[in-house]
Amino acid sequence: MAASSAPEEAPRITRLELRRYAPPIGLLLVLAVATLIPAGLQPPELRLASPDRARVDQMRAVVAGLPSSSLVLVGFDPDLGTYPEIRATVRAVLDDLTSHGARLAFASFTAEGRALAAAEIDRLGRRAEAGGTRPEMLDIGFISGAEAGLVRAVSSIVPNSASGALAEAVRARGGGIGAFDLVVVVSGGDLGARSWVEQVGPRLPSIPMVAVAPTFLEPELAPYLRSGQLKALLATLREGVAYAEEVPVAGAPRDRAIPALPMLIGMLIALGWLVVIIMQRATGRLGPGAREGRLA
Amino acid sequence: MNGLFAADLTGTLGTWVGALLTIAVWSYVVGERTVFRLLQYLLAGLATGYLALLAIREVLIPRLVVPLATDPVHNPLLLVALVACVILGAAAWLPQRLVAPFAGLVVGASAAFALGGAVVGTVLPQMADALLERADGGVGLADGLLALVITILVLLAFLRGGQRGRLTGRAAVIGRWLLVGGIGAWFGFLLVTRLALLVDRVGFLLGDWLGLIR
Repeated sequence: MAASSAPEEAPRITRLELRRYAPPIGLLLVLAVATLIPAGLQPPELRLASPDRARVDQMRAVVAGLPSSSLVLVGFDPDLGTYPEIRATVRAVLDDLTSHGARLAFASFTAEGRALAAAEIDRLGRRAEAGGTRPEMLDIGFISGAEAGLVRAVSSIVPNSASGALAEAVRARGGGIGAFDLVVVVSGGDLGARSWVEQVGPRLPSIPMVAVAPTFLEPELAPYLRSGQLKALLATLREGVAYAEEVPVAGAPRDRAIPALPMLIGMLIALGWLVVIIMQRATGRLGPGAREGRLA
Repeated sequence: MNGLFAADLTGTLGTWVGALLTIAVWSYVVGERTVFRLLQYLLAGLATGYLALLAIREVLIPRLVVPLATDPVHNPLLLVALVACVILGAAAWLPQRLVAPFAGLVVGASAAFALGGAVVGTVLPQMADALLERADGGVGLADGLLALVITILVLLAFLRGGQRGRLTGRAAVIGRWLLVGGIGAWFGFLLVTRLALLVDRVGFLLGDWLGLIR
Protein backbone atom coordinates (compact mmCIF):
# COMPACT_ATOMS: atom_id res chain seq x y z
CA MET A 1 0.00 0.00 0.00
CA ALA A 2 2.73 2.36 1.01
CA ALA A 3 4.68 1.63 -2.15
CA SER A 4 1.67 2.37 -4.34
CA SER A 5 0.70 5.65 -2.60
CA ALA A 6 4.14 7.23 -2.70
CA PRO A 7 4.25 7.88 -6.47
CA GLU A 8 0.80 9.48 -6.28
CA GLU A 9 1.80 11.96 -3.56
CA ALA A 10 4.99 13.17 -5.15
CA PRO A 11 3.43 15.14 -8.03
CA ARG A 12 0.84 16.66 -5.66
CA ILE A 13 3.57 18.08 -3.45
CA THR A 14 5.36 19.46 -6.48
CA ARG A 15 2.18 21.15 -7.64
CA LEU A 16 1.67 22.65 -4.19
CA GLU A 17 5.21 23.94 -4.18
CA LEU A 18 4.73 25.33 -7.66
CA ARG A 19 1.61 27.19 -6.54
CA ARG A 20 3.46 28.63 -3.60
CA TYR A 21 6.58 29.67 -5.49
CA ALA A 22 4.94 30.75 -8.75
CA PRO A 23 4.06 34.34 -7.66
CA PRO A 24 7.61 35.46 -6.71
CA ILE A 25 9.17 33.68 -9.69
CA GLY A 26 6.51 35.18 -11.96
CA LEU A 27 7.18 38.65 -10.52
CA LEU A 28 10.89 38.32 -11.23
CA LEU A 29 10.23 37.13 -14.80
CA VAL A 30 7.75 39.94 -15.48
CA LEU A 31 10.19 42.52 -14.14
CA ALA A 32 12.98 41.02 -16.25
CA VAL A 33 10.88 41.19 -19.43
CA ALA A 34 9.79 44.77 -18.62
CA THR A 35 13.41 45.77 -18.02
CA LEU A 36 14.44 44.29 -21.38
CA ILE A 37 11.95 46.43 -23.33
CA PRO A 38 13.96 49.38 -24.67
CA ALA A 39 12.90 52.86 -23.58
CA GLY A 40 12.21 53.79 -27.22
CA LEU A 41 9.47 51.16 -27.50
CA GLN A 42 7.72 52.27 -24.32
CA PRO A 43 4.89 54.83 -24.47
CA PRO A 44 6.28 58.37 -24.27
CA GLU A 45 3.80 59.19 -21.50
CA LEU A 46 5.48 56.59 -19.30
CA ARG A 47 8.10 58.67 -17.55
CA LEU A 48 9.55 58.21 -14.11
CA ALA A 49 10.78 61.81 -13.90
CA SER A 50 8.56 64.01 -11.75
CA PRO A 51 6.80 66.77 -13.71
CA ASP A 52 7.10 69.00 -10.64
CA ARG A 53 10.55 70.53 -11.08
CA ALA A 54 10.51 72.71 -7.96
CA ARG A 55 13.00 70.61 -6.02
CA VAL A 56 15.18 70.05 -9.07
CA ASP A 57 15.30 73.81 -9.61
CA GLN A 58 16.18 74.36 -5.95
CA MET A 59 19.11 71.95 -6.12
CA ARG A 60 20.34 73.37 -9.42
CA ALA A 61 20.04 76.91 -8.10
CA VAL A 62 22.14 76.08 -5.02
CA VAL A 63 24.85 74.50 -7.18
CA ALA A 64 24.74 77.34 -9.71
CA GLY A 65 25.08 79.87 -6.90
CA LEU A 66 28.40 78.49 -5.70
CA PRO A 67 31.46 80.72 -6.09
CA SER A 68 34.19 79.64 -8.48
CA SER A 69 36.53 76.92 -7.14
CA SER A 70 34.21 76.48 -4.19
CA LEU A 71 34.86 73.91 -1.49
CA VAL A 72 32.08 71.37 -1.15
CA LEU A 73 31.91 68.77 1.59
CA VAL A 74 30.12 65.57 0.63
CA GLY A 75 28.88 63.81 3.77
CA PHE A 76 28.65 60.37 2.25
CA ASP A 77 26.62 58.07 4.51
CA PRO A 78 24.06 56.11 2.48
CA ASP A 79 22.97 52.58 3.38
CA LEU A 80 24.24 49.63 1.38
CA GLY A 81 20.65 48.49 1.02
CA THR A 82 19.10 51.66 -0.34
CA TYR A 83 22.01 53.24 -2.21
CA PRO A 84 21.01 51.79 -5.63
CA GLU A 85 17.87 53.94 -5.48
CA ILE A 86 19.82 57.19 -5.21
CA ARG A 87 23.03 56.18 -7.00
CA ALA A 88 22.17 57.85 -10.31
CA THR A 89 21.03 61.01 -8.50
CA VAL A 90 24.20 61.20 -6.41
CA ARG A 91 26.35 60.87 -9.53
CA ALA A 92 24.33 63.56 -11.25
CA VAL A 93 24.88 65.86 -8.26
CA LEU A 94 28.63 65.17 -8.35
CA ASP A 95 28.65 65.86 -12.11
CA ASP A 96 26.70 69.07 -11.56
CA LEU A 97 29.12 70.23 -8.86
CA THR A 98 32.27 69.43 -10.83
CA SER A 99 30.90 71.07 -13.96
CA HIS A 100 30.57 74.24 -11.85
CA GLY A 101 34.22 73.92 -10.81
CA ALA A 102 33.56 72.75 -7.28
CA ARG A 103 36.29 70.98 -5.33
CA LEU A 104 34.95 67.97 -3.46
CA ALA A 105 35.90 66.55 -0.09
CA PHE A 106 34.36 63.23 0.94
CA ALA A 107 33.80 62.31 4.59
CA SER A 108 31.85 59.40 6.07
CA PHE A 109 30.57 58.84 9.58
CA THR A 110 29.29 55.29 9.08
CA ALA A 111 31.15 52.17 7.96
CA GLU A 112 28.68 51.47 5.15
CA GLY A 113 28.99 55.03 3.95
CA ARG A 114 32.76 54.77 3.95
CA ALA A 115 32.66 51.60 1.83
CA LEU A 116 30.39 53.27 -0.73
CA ALA A 117 32.37 56.52 -0.69
CA ALA A 118 35.57 54.59 -1.44
CA ALA A 119 33.82 52.89 -4.37
CA GLU A 120 32.53 56.21 -5.77
CA ILE A 121 35.91 57.95 -5.39
CA ASP A 122 37.49 54.99 -7.18
CA ARG A 123 34.87 55.28 -9.94
CA LEU A 124 35.56 59.00 -10.40
CA GLY A 125 39.27 58.22 -10.66
CA ARG A 126 38.66 55.50 -13.26
CA ARG A 127 36.46 57.83 -15.27
CA ALA A 128 39.25 60.40 -15.35
CA GLU A 129 41.65 57.73 -16.61
CA ALA A 130 39.15 56.88 -19.36
CA GLY A 131 39.27 60.44 -20.65
CA GLY A 132 36.68 62.17 -18.51
CA THR A 133 37.24 65.19 -16.34
CA ARG A 134 38.95 64.57 -13.03
CA PRO A 135 37.43 66.61 -10.25
CA GLU A 136 39.72 67.96 -7.56
CA MET A 137 38.99 65.65 -4.65
CA LEU A 138 40.01 65.10 -1.06
CA ASP A 139 39.28 61.80 0.65
CA ILE A 140 38.85 62.65 4.33
CA GLY A 141 37.85 59.08 5.07
CA PHE A 142 35.95 57.63 8.00
CA ILE A 143 35.27 59.76 11.07
CA SER A 144 34.38 57.78 14.18
CA GLY A 145 31.97 58.75 16.95
CA ALA A 146 28.73 59.13 14.95
CA GLU A 147 27.01 62.35 16.14
CA ALA A 148 29.86 63.17 18.53
CA GLY A 149 32.25 62.81 15.58
CA LEU A 150 30.03 65.12 13.58
CA VAL A 151 30.28 67.76 16.30
CA ARG A 152 34.06 67.33 16.47
CA ALA A 153 34.25 67.76 12.69
CA VAL A 154 32.69 71.21 13.03
CA SER A 155 36.04 72.46 14.33
CA SER A 156 38.42 69.94 12.75
CA ILE A 157 37.65 67.61 9.89
CA VAL A 158 40.86 67.22 7.90
CA PRO A 159 43.10 64.44 9.27
CA ASN A 160 46.73 65.28 10.02
CA SER A 161 47.89 62.79 7.41
CA ALA A 162 45.95 64.50 4.59
CA SER A 163 48.04 66.45 2.13
CA GLY A 164 47.53 68.28 -1.14
CA ALA A 165 46.18 71.59 -2.33
CA LEU A 166 42.62 70.88 -1.28
CA ALA A 167 43.59 69.79 2.24
CA GLU A 168 45.67 72.94 2.61
CA ALA A 169 42.81 75.08 1.32
CA VAL A 170 40.49 73.64 3.97
CA ARG A 171 43.12 74.11 6.69
CA ALA A 172 43.65 77.71 5.57
CA ARG A 173 39.97 78.39 6.14
CA GLY A 174 39.99 76.93 9.66
CA GLY A 175 40.09 73.18 9.05
CA GLY A 176 36.50 72.46 10.10
CA ILE A 177 33.17 72.10 8.33
CA GLY A 178 32.92 75.89 8.37
CA ALA A 179 35.66 75.98 5.73
CA PHE A 180 33.26 74.70 3.09
CA ASP A 181 30.88 76.68 0.91
CA LEU A 182 28.30 73.90 0.78
CA VAL A 183 27.56 70.59 2.47
CA VAL A 184 25.96 67.86 0.37
CA VAL A 185 24.57 65.08 2.57
CA VAL A 186 24.11 61.72 0.86
CA SER A 187 21.74 60.34 3.40
CA GLY A 188 20.94 56.92 4.76
CA GLY A 189 19.06 55.59 7.72
CA ASP A 190 21.90 55.53 10.26
CA LEU A 191 23.40 58.99 10.23
CA GLY A 192 21.79 61.17 7.65
CA ALA A 193 20.59 64.64 6.86
CA ARG A 194 18.60 64.89 10.11
CA SER A 195 21.78 64.41 12.17
CA TRP A 196 23.57 67.03 10.05
CA VAL A 197 20.72 69.50 10.50
CA GLU A 198 20.54 68.87 14.25
CA GLN A 199 24.26 68.83 15.03
CA VAL A 200 25.90 71.04 12.41
CA GLY A 201 23.04 73.43 11.57
CA PRO A 202 22.83 75.17 14.98
CA ARG A 203 26.63 75.40 15.25
CA LEU A 204 27.22 76.65 11.71
CA PRO A 205 23.98 78.34 10.61
CA SER A 206 25.63 80.09 7.67
CA ILE A 207 26.70 76.88 5.89
CA PRO A 208 24.06 75.86 3.34
CA MET A 209 23.13 72.19 3.39
CA VAL A 210 21.48 70.11 0.69
CA ALA A 211 20.56 66.44 0.81
CA VAL A 212 19.99 63.43 -1.42
CA ALA A 213 18.05 60.68 0.33
CA PRO A 214 16.11 57.51 -0.47
CA THR A 215 12.34 57.73 -0.72
CA PHE A 216 11.61 56.35 2.74
CA LEU A 217 13.33 59.37 4.32
CA GLU A 218 11.16 61.89 2.48
CA PRO A 219 8.58 62.32 5.31
CA GLU A 220 11.38 62.83 7.83
CA LEU A 221 13.34 65.39 5.80
CA ALA A 222 10.63 67.39 4.04
CA PRO A 223 9.95 69.63 7.11
CA TYR A 224 13.62 70.69 7.13
CA LEU A 225 13.32 71.81 3.52
CA ARG A 226 10.18 73.81 4.31
CA SER A 227 11.83 75.50 7.29
CA GLY A 228 14.92 76.37 5.23
CA GLN A 229 17.29 74.23 7.30
CA LEU A 230 17.94 72.31 4.09
CA LYS A 231 18.37 74.49 1.01
CA ALA A 232 17.48 71.66 -1.38
CA LEU A 233 16.34 68.07 -1.10
CA LEU A 234 16.02 65.23 -3.60
CA ALA A 235 14.29 62.46 -1.71
CA THR A 236 12.22 60.47 -4.14
CA LEU A 237 13.14 58.35 -7.11
CA ARG A 238 11.06 60.57 -9.41
CA GLU A 239 12.84 63.76 -8.29
CA GLY A 240 16.18 62.01 -8.70
CA VAL A 241 15.39 60.94 -12.26
CA ALA A 242 14.13 64.43 -13.12
CA TYR A 243 17.32 65.96 -11.74
CA ALA A 244 19.59 63.47 -13.56
CA GLU A 245 17.81 64.37 -16.82
CA GLU A 246 18.51 68.07 -16.25
CA VAL A 247 22.21 67.73 -15.56
CA PRO A 248 24.36 67.39 -18.66
CA VAL A 249 26.54 64.28 -18.72
CA ALA A 250 30.25 65.03 -18.45
CA GLY A 251 32.68 62.58 -20.08
CA ALA A 252 31.68 58.94 -19.94
CA PRO A 253 27.95 58.17 -19.99
CA ARG A 254 26.28 58.08 -16.61
CA ASP A 255 24.95 54.78 -15.34
CA ARG A 256 21.63 53.37 -16.39
CA ALA A 257 18.69 54.88 -14.52
CA ILE A 258 15.95 52.73 -13.03
CA PRO A 259 13.40 52.22 -15.84
CA ALA A 260 9.78 53.30 -15.51
CA LEU A 261 7.94 50.26 -16.94
CA PRO A 262 9.10 47.66 -14.37
CA MET A 263 8.40 50.15 -11.57
CA LEU A 264 4.86 50.65 -12.86
CA ILE A 265 4.29 46.91 -13.19
CA GLY A 266 5.69 46.29 -9.72
CA MET A 267 3.43 48.95 -8.20
CA LEU A 268 0.39 47.50 -9.99
CA ILE A 269 1.23 44.01 -8.73
CA ALA A 270 1.63 45.35 -5.19
CA LEU A 271 -1.72 47.14 -5.43
CA GLY A 272 -3.35 44.00 -6.83
CA TRP A 273 -1.93 41.95 -3.99
CA LEU A 274 -3.27 44.48 -1.49
CA VAL A 275 -6.74 44.30 -3.04
CA VAL A 276 -6.70 40.47 -2.94
CA ILE A 277 -5.75 40.49 0.75
CA ILE A 278 -8.46 43.04 1.58
CA MET A 279 -11.04 41.01 -0.34
CA GLN A 280 -9.98 37.81 1.41
CA ARG A 281 -10.21 39.55 4.76
CA ALA A 282 -13.62 40.96 3.92
CA THR A 283 -14.97 37.57 2.88
CA GLY A 284 -13.29 35.77 5.78
CA ARG A 285 -11.23 33.52 3.51
CA LEU A 286 -7.89 34.49 5.01
CA GLY A 287 -5.76 31.50 5.97
CA PRO A 288 -4.61 30.84 9.54
CA GLY A 289 -1.07 31.98 8.65
CA ALA A 290 -2.34 35.40 7.61
CA ARG A 291 -4.39 35.76 10.79
CA GLU A 292 -1.17 35.20 12.74
CA GLY A 293 0.49 37.97 10.78
CA ARG A 294 2.02 35.94 7.95
CA LEU A 295 0.68 37.07 4.59
CA ALA A 296 2.17 34.27 2.45
CA MET B 1 26.18 49.73 -15.73
CA ASN B 2 26.32 50.44 -12.01
CA GLY B 3 29.85 51.74 -12.54
CA LEU B 4 31.15 50.24 -9.33
CA PHE B 5 33.30 47.65 -11.11
CA ALA B 6 36.23 48.40 -13.42
CA ALA B 7 36.33 46.97 -16.94
CA ASP B 8 39.35 44.76 -16.16
CA LEU B 9 39.62 41.22 -14.83
CA THR B 10 38.83 42.19 -11.24
CA GLY B 11 35.71 44.00 -12.45
CA THR B 12 34.57 40.94 -14.40
CA LEU B 13 35.22 38.75 -11.37
CA GLY B 14 33.32 41.20 -9.16
CA THR B 15 30.35 41.23 -11.54
CA TRP B 16 30.24 37.41 -11.62
CA VAL B 17 30.47 37.13 -7.85
CA GLY B 18 27.75 39.78 -7.47
CA ALA B 19 25.49 38.04 -9.98
CA LEU B 20 25.92 34.59 -8.45
CA LEU B 21 25.32 35.92 -4.94
CA THR B 22 22.19 37.76 -6.14
CA ILE B 23 20.79 34.54 -7.62
CA ALA B 24 21.77 32.66 -4.47
CA VAL B 25 19.86 35.18 -2.32
CA TRP B 26 16.84 34.85 -4.59
CA SER B 27 16.88 31.08 -4.00
CA TYR B 28 14.98 31.99 -0.81
CA VAL B 29 11.82 32.60 -2.85
CA VAL B 30 11.73 28.90 -3.80
CA GLY B 31 12.22 27.82 -0.20
CA GLU B 32 16.01 27.27 -0.26
CA ARG B 33 16.90 28.46 3.20
CA THR B 34 20.29 26.82 3.66
CA VAL B 35 22.01 28.86 0.96
CA PHE B 36 20.26 32.01 2.15
CA ARG B 37 21.42 31.40 5.73
CA LEU B 38 24.99 30.83 4.55
CA LEU B 39 24.88 34.14 2.68
CA GLN B 40 23.59 35.88 5.80
CA TYR B 41 26.61 34.51 7.66
CA LEU B 42 28.84 35.68 4.81
CA LEU B 43 27.37 39.20 4.98
CA ALA B 44 27.69 39.34 8.76
CA GLY B 45 31.26 38.05 8.60
CA LEU B 46 32.28 40.46 5.86
CA ALA B 47 30.67 43.40 7.65
CA THR B 48 32.37 42.52 10.94
CA GLY B 49 35.72 42.07 9.25
CA TYR B 50 35.33 45.36 7.39
CA LEU B 51 34.36 47.16 10.60
CA ALA B 52 37.37 45.75 12.43
CA LEU B 53 39.68 46.75 9.59
CA LEU B 54 38.15 50.22 9.44
CA ALA B 55 38.48 50.69 13.19
CA ILE B 56 42.12 49.61 13.17
CA ARG B 57 43.25 51.43 10.01
CA GLU B 58 41.26 54.66 10.19
CA VAL B 59 40.68 55.15 13.93
CA LEU B 60 42.98 53.27 16.28
CA ILE B 61 46.28 53.62 14.41
CA PRO B 62 46.04 57.27 13.23
CA ARG B 63 44.17 58.67 16.24
CA LEU B 64 45.51 56.60 19.14
CA VAL B 65 48.62 54.56 18.37
CA VAL B 66 50.52 57.11 16.28
CA PRO B 67 49.93 60.13 18.62
CA LEU B 68 50.84 58.02 21.68
CA ALA B 69 53.92 56.59 20.00
CA THR B 70 55.23 59.88 18.63
CA ASP B 71 54.29 62.34 21.37
CA PRO B 72 52.86 60.73 24.52
CA VAL B 73 53.64 63.73 26.76
CA HIS B 74 51.39 66.09 24.82
CA ASN B 75 48.55 63.57 24.56
CA PRO B 76 47.70 62.70 28.18
CA LEU B 77 43.96 62.48 27.45
CA LEU B 78 44.58 59.68 24.98
CA LEU B 79 46.12 57.59 27.76
CA VAL B 80 43.01 58.16 29.86
CA ALA B 81 40.84 57.21 26.89
CA LEU B 82 42.89 54.06 26.36
CA VAL B 83 42.46 53.04 30.01
CA ALA B 84 38.70 53.76 29.78
CA CYS B 85 38.41 51.61 26.64
CA VAL B 86 40.27 48.73 28.32
CA ILE B 87 38.00 48.96 31.37
CA LEU B 88 34.86 49.06 29.22
CA GLY B 89 36.14 46.11 27.17
CA ALA B 90 36.66 44.09 30.35
CA ALA B 91 33.29 45.11 31.79
CA ALA B 92 32.10 41.54 32.24
CA TRP B 93 34.61 40.57 34.93
CA LEU B 94 35.50 43.92 36.50
CA PRO B 95 33.56 45.30 39.51
CA GLN B 96 30.49 47.25 38.45
CA ARG B 97 31.52 50.31 40.46
CA LEU B 98 34.67 50.63 38.40
CA VAL B 99 32.95 50.23 35.03
CA ALA B 100 29.84 52.30 35.75
CA PRO B 101 31.41 55.80 35.59
CA PHE B 102 33.00 55.14 32.19
CA ALA B 103 29.92 53.44 30.78
CA GLY B 104 27.76 56.24 32.16
CA LEU B 105 29.98 58.85 30.56
CA VAL B 106 29.77 57.18 27.14
CA VAL B 107 26.01 56.60 27.28
CA GLY B 108 25.30 60.02 28.80
CA ALA B 109 27.40 61.88 26.27
CA SER B 110 25.75 60.05 23.34
CA ALA B 111 22.27 60.74 24.73
CA ALA B 112 23.12 64.38 25.37
CA PHE B 113 24.29 64.87 21.78
CA ALA B 114 21.13 63.26 20.41
CA LEU B 115 18.71 65.03 22.75
CA GLY B 116 20.39 68.42 22.54
CA GLY B 117 20.48 68.21 18.74
CA ALA B 118 16.84 67.16 18.56
CA VAL B 119 15.72 70.12 20.68
CA VAL B 120 17.96 72.80 19.17
CA GLY B 121 17.98 71.48 15.61
CA THR B 122 14.47 70.09 15.17
CA VAL B 123 11.88 70.95 17.83
CA LEU B 124 12.59 74.67 18.24
CA PRO B 125 13.21 75.55 14.55
CA GLN B 126 10.19 73.53 13.45
CA MET B 127 7.96 75.19 16.04
CA ALA B 128 9.24 78.61 15.05
CA ASP B 129 8.71 77.85 11.37
CA ALA B 130 5.16 76.64 11.99
CA LEU B 131 4.30 79.71 14.09
CA LEU B 132 5.76 82.24 11.65
CA GLU B 133 4.30 80.60 8.57
CA ARG B 134 0.81 80.20 10.05
CA ALA B 135 0.70 83.77 11.33
CA ASP B 136 0.16 84.93 7.72
CA GLY B 137 -3.39 83.51 7.78
CA GLY B 138 -5.26 82.02 4.79
CA VAL B 139 -4.37 78.51 3.64
CA GLY B 140 -1.32 78.47 5.92
CA LEU B 141 -3.53 79.04 8.97
CA ALA B 142 -5.94 76.27 8.00
CA ASP B 143 -2.99 74.00 7.33
CA GLY B 144 -1.51 74.78 10.73
CA LEU B 145 -4.79 74.23 12.56
CA LEU B 146 -5.22 70.87 10.84
CA ALA B 147 -1.69 69.89 11.84
CA LEU B 148 -2.43 70.93 15.43
CA VAL B 149 -5.66 68.90 15.58
CA ILE B 150 -3.98 65.82 14.08
CA THR B 151 -1.06 66.12 16.51
CA ILE B 152 -3.37 66.35 19.52
CA LEU B 153 -5.49 63.39 18.34
CA VAL B 154 -2.39 61.22 17.76
CA LEU B 155 -0.96 62.19 21.15
CA LEU B 156 -4.30 61.21 22.75
CA ALA B 157 -3.92 57.79 21.14
CA PHE B 158 -0.79 57.27 23.22
CA LEU B 159 -2.56 58.04 26.52
CA ARG B 160 -2.36 55.02 28.75
CA GLY B 161 -3.70 54.50 32.26
CA GLY B 162 -6.11 56.65 34.22
CA GLN B 163 -9.73 57.43 33.53
CA ARG B 164 -10.66 58.40 29.99
CA GLY B 165 -13.93 60.13 29.28
CA ARG B 166 -16.20 59.23 26.37
CA LEU B 167 -15.00 62.13 24.25
CA THR B 168 -11.33 61.50 24.98
CA GLY B 169 -11.79 57.81 24.20
CA ARG B 170 -13.34 58.58 20.81
CA ALA B 171 -10.64 61.11 20.05
CA ALA B 172 -8.00 58.50 20.93
CA VAL B 173 -9.61 56.03 18.49
CA ILE B 174 -9.52 58.65 15.72
CA GLY B 175 -5.91 59.40 16.65
CA ARG B 176 -5.03 55.72 16.39
CA TRP B 177 -6.53 55.52 12.91
CA LEU B 178 -4.66 58.65 11.88
CA LEU B 179 -1.51 56.99 13.16
CA VAL B 180 -2.28 53.86 11.15
CA GLY B 181 -2.84 56.05 8.07
CA GLY B 182 0.52 57.76 8.58
CA ILE B 183 2.33 54.47 9.02
CA GLY B 184 0.57 53.13 5.94
CA ALA B 185 1.79 56.09 3.90
CA TRP B 186 5.31 55.47 5.21
CA PHE B 187 5.07 51.82 4.14
CA GLY B 188 4.00 53.04 0.71
CA PHE B 189 7.25 55.00 0.51
CA LEU B 190 9.12 51.90 1.68
CA LEU B 191 7.48 49.84 -1.05
CA VAL B 192 8.73 52.24 -3.73
CA THR B 193 12.23 52.03 -2.30
CA ARG B 194 12.27 48.24 -2.14
CA LEU B 195 10.78 47.91 -5.61
CA ALA B 196 13.46 50.24 -6.99
CA LEU B 197 16.11 48.03 -5.40
CA LEU B 198 14.60 44.88 -6.94
CA VAL B 199 14.39 46.48 -10.39
CA ASP B 200 18.00 47.64 -10.02
CA ARG B 201 19.11 44.09 -9.22
CA VAL B 202 17.20 42.73 -12.22
CA GLY B 203 18.88 45.40 -14.34
CA PHE B 204 22.28 44.44 -12.93
CA LEU B 205 21.80 40.79 -13.92
CA LEU B 206 20.47 41.60 -17.40
CA GLY B 207 22.82 44.50 -18.14
CA ASP B 208 26.08 44.23 -16.23
CA TRP B 209 26.22 40.45 -16.10
CA LEU B 210 24.48 39.15 -19.23
CA GLY B 211 24.96 42.27 -21.35
CA LEU B 212 21.39 42.15 -22.69
CA ILE B 213 20.69 45.84 -22.05
CA ARG B 214 22.92 48.87 -22.35
